[in-house]
Amino acid sequence: MKITRTGSIAAIAIVGAMALAGCSTAGGGTTPAPTSAPMDYSSISGTLSAGGSSAQGNAESAWTAAFKGLGATLTFEYDKSQGSGGGRTKFLAGEYDFAGSDAPLSADETTSAATTCGADGAIDLPIYLDGVSIAYNVSGVTDLNLSSATIAKIFNLKITDWSDPAIAADNGGKALPSGPITTVVRSDSSGTATNFTKFLVGTAGTEWPYPAGGTWPITAGVSAQKGGSAVAGTIGTTAGAIGYVDHSAAKDSNGKALTVANVNGVAYTPEAVSSTLANIGTVKSNGVAGDLSISFDYSKLAATDYPVPLLSYAIICKTFANPAQAELTKAYLGFIASTTGQQVAAKNAGAAPLPESILAQITASLADVK
Amino acid sequence: MTDNSTVDARASSPAARPVKPVKSGAPRNSGGPTPAGGVSKAGDRVFLGLSTSAAWLIMVMLAGVAIFLIIKAWPAITANWDASNPLQDRTSGNTAGQTSFWSYVGPLVFGTLWSAFLALLMGAPVAIGIALFISHYAPRRLAGTLGYLIDLLAAVPSIVFGLWGVFVIRDFFKPLNGFLNQTLGWLPFFQGTTNANGESPISATGSTILAGAVVLAVMILPIITSISREIFLQTPSLHEEAAFALGATRWEMIRMAVLPYARSGIVSATLLGLGRALGETMAIAIIVSPHLVYSFKLITDGENPATIAGNIALQFSGSNSLQQSALIATGLMLFVISFAVNFIARIVVARTAPGAKRRTRKVTKA
Repeated sequence: MKITRTGSIAAIAIVGAMALAGCSTAGGGTTPAPTSAPMDYSSISGTLSAGGSSAQGNAESAWTAAFKGLGATLTFEYDKSQGSGGGRTKFLAGEYDFAGSDAPLSADETTSAATTCGADGAIDLPIYLDGVSIAYNVSGVTDLNLSSATIAKIFNLKITDWSDPAIAADNGGKALPSGPITTVVRSDSSGTATNFTKFLVGTAGTEWPYPAGGTWPITAGVSAQKGGSAVAGTIGTTAGAIGYVDHSAAKDSNGKALTVANVNGVAYTPEAVSSTLANIGTVKSNGVAGDLSISFDYSKLAATDYPVPLLSYAIICKTFANPAQAELTKAYLGFIASTTGQQVAAKNAGAAPLPESILAQITASLADVK
Repeated sequence: MTDNSTVDARASSPAARPVKPVKSGAPRNSGGPTPAGGVSKAGDRVFLGLSTSAAWLIMVMLAGVAIFLIIKAWPAITANWDASNPLQDRTSGNTAGQTSFWSYVGPLVFGTLWSAFLALLMGAPVAIGIALFISHYAPRRLAGTLGYLIDLLAAVPSIVFGLWGVFVIRDFFKPLNGFLNQTLGWLPFFQGTTNANGESPISATGSTILAGAVVLAVMILPIITSISREIFLQTPSLHEEAAFALGATRWEMIRMAVLPYARSGIVSATLLGLGRALGETMAIAIIVSPHLVYSFKLITDGENPATIAGNIALQFSGSNSLQQSALIATGLMLFVISFAVNFIARIVVARTAPGAKRRTRKVTKA
């Protein structure tokens, strides 16, 4: 509650300062220059139904509050209990106006979206950028650095003790105190796992023999927990534990921040992850015009980029069954894809603002939605 | 039980006993809607119709669930689980790497039965002890309060038990796991999971099947306690007094008069508890770290067999449609297992009849 209220206040303050960045440009340039008058939010009212990715959860509640703060009358509770997979499933079942998902629709899902949305299909719009944190719990160690290969070996259960020479080598030869490693993973399917395994596939080479995906590929020998907060909570209470969590959720059950490792020498900062997206991300459409699925080429990572980005999407039909609902969804997502919206997420959920070029493309894609 | 008794009592003369709506006791009772002796009042007829349709509704619903499960499960059971099948999609669900539906459901069935067995092992003796205390040891006032509290335990939602398990029981077991491993480590149950470097660490998180089973045991306490208590209370007082007259102590009296009389009731109470434990979902899903393995190890993170219900809860949303069908098929297996458990319970009760019969009669009278 507190967060939400702060969110709306923050949003109003930002809006006041920025005099309503508009959201109705069609240009694909580098800046979303507002070509028309700022939108009149007070004419917007209705009920949205959406859910999915829990990574987006905090940002969605901040966005909702900020959107209402602009004068819109909106009834909306983003259901983050679904998880990305659940969000996509419900979207494909026609229950949602949009799904929040840490992975774009798969090829199969894109095909079945044509049944739900009609011939125009569905599009993926990247709206939220954050990182996956590698959180750990080793008493007295707060400045751990891990390379991609070492992370892969730890999560593939090849490295089983904190005093392993490979970990020491990543930390300037300084060996850690000896103790067994407990790897904590998700027992349910998750977008966090999708983003994390993409990173492992892209950077760890032969050390990571599994494909990228939402289900954790190693079936025995790990501690599997239901949901990101349970993973974080378990790491917080277990000496020797290490696991992957959304950056914005790397807190134990008492709300205390977990210690997180630097990856390849880089700590998470919004700037570091924005730069990652700019360097390695390219739009790779799923075949539907306006789709903005982004694929990562990890070989292009710069030395100062945080290498484990978490990119989360809003998935919508290109043609809504109900035009009024389309207008409402477009207004809401348009707000998210504005500079203001991105700053709301940065302030309230610790996310990294998306580059202006992508925001402009989202705005252009939204213009085609009806 | 109470429901049945009220219904029976109101429905009238013993001659025209209608079909019992909910739990149609012994098959010989379910003689259908033909009342012997003429139906005199409209109220009787209306009630007869209502209770008969309730009975049929149960049958229809049960059949409907079974048909739904079979239809939805069929594609996955009959699918060819080879490499090109969507079931082998490593990016979603957890069916990849299995050679057939049976190799997938096997560890799940094992895990379901194993965790339920552990829960019964710990829960049933305690529950029967509580029931005996309430029925034969406790002063009347304390007995009432205690019985009420136990019944209240049944009203706690399973997710709350789950959270309690995560935040309390798991932490409680962390040091205990080390102790068990050190003192009883020669038993396979208390060994760790062997890793790539030849070490066998036990659970550091406490997220073990032992912790899950303890919480399950607490969850099945109320059902076993309240049924056993009812039966213990119905021991004929003549038997008890006869035992005392022969010079028996209280414990001897319980052993000679109460337990033999209540034997079948205890068995059926235990099996009902087993049914609850088999189907438990959320508590197990959030406490235990599950894997598709056959393992009797109790205190590891990496080798706890997943249960059917827990696995469905965890995997359903992330699965593709054929994988969801496979999950529903595992649900069908759970349905069959629960059915078998209830069936066995009935046979046991029918075999060792006296207690059971007595009980029905008494409850009806009350």
